[in-house]
Amino acid sequence: MNEVDEEQPPASPAESLRLIRDQRARAERSLTPDPRLVYWPWSVAWLVGYGLFFLRYGSDGDGLVAMPDWLPFAALFGLMALALTVMSVALFRAGRHVAGESATKGSMYGMAWLMAFTGQGFLLGRVSDRLPPPEAGLLWSASSMGIVAVLYLAGAAIYQDRTMLYLGGWLGVVNIGGVLAGPGWHALAMAVAGGGGGLVFGLLAWLRLARPPALRPDPA
Amino acid sequence: MSLPELDPVIHAQARLRVVAALSTLPHGDRLSFPRLQEILGMTAGNLSVHLRKLEDAGYVDVTKTHHGRTPATLLCLSRRGRLAFEDYTTAVRALLDGGSQ
Repeated sequence: MNEVDEEQPPASPAESLRLIRDQRARAERSLTPDPRLVYWPWSVAWLVGYGLFFLRYGSDGDGLVAMPDWLPFAALFGLMALALTVMSVALFRAGRHVAGESATKGSMYGMAWLMAFTGQGFLLGRVSDRLPPPEAGLLWSASSMGIVAVLYLAGAAIYQDRTMLYLGGWLGVVNIGGVLAGPGWHALAMAVAGGGGGLVFGLLAWLRLARPPALRPDPA
Repeated sequence: MSLPELDPVIHAQARLRVVAALSTLPHGDRLSFPRLQEILGMTAGNLSVHLRKLEDAGYVDVTKTHHGRTPATLLCLSRRGRLAFEDYTTAVRALLDGGSQ
């Protein structure tokens, strides 16, 4: 930075606008969690985890590829735990040294996720043993994806975020479609359309952030 | 053509950058001094000088607080600062439109 020149006015009105646009874009990139780190790890977890489920059990329980029973479970939950970690780091880095309403919103929204999955765990842990294994698997995975879809939609309302709106809506529709199609097909739908959709929506959000539109009038 | 007058507080490269960066904060949020410094790529001394001028003009609200035992300075645009920034961008656009005719 040239500190002597910084007291100088910008050379022209166009230069002023360029300075404003560049600085705002830089600040937004710093203050917004990287969409690639927020959405892609989950997408990969669904793609690989549910993909293995489909390969192991197929649409009729017979399966297409021989593998140990524990492998799809371990892959899905291991990758989801990794995704949670990566996303948390991205959210923390964007939110560090920012105080105020966003921090409050973020912790309340985090509580909603925690409560939803804790409640689901206790409820399904109590009833899923009484179901045939394919239906039990469907119950766990479809209710998880339903919670994710609904909480993305809620996040869209909280943050006025289009990516969360479209991804939440998309996952919700794909989830219901998969449930109607039945166990096995649900896993395939979540792998391809859920994981693939997350990759696409994450990419679009990242491109939008990397190449911001022309200067918007600032909301008061 | 009479030129719209540009606010001299904001019409300096460093302070324009400070105000532009702070304008991206959602309403109700405050940014710490070191984080703002990192976003702007300015030295602490330089940023302090410009923040003082913006604070004196009533454009930036400065809150001194504590995180544990460490003192922290939190910054945001005041209502007046947001208004001044909007007026500035409007005036600059008017200049640009006038110049292109």
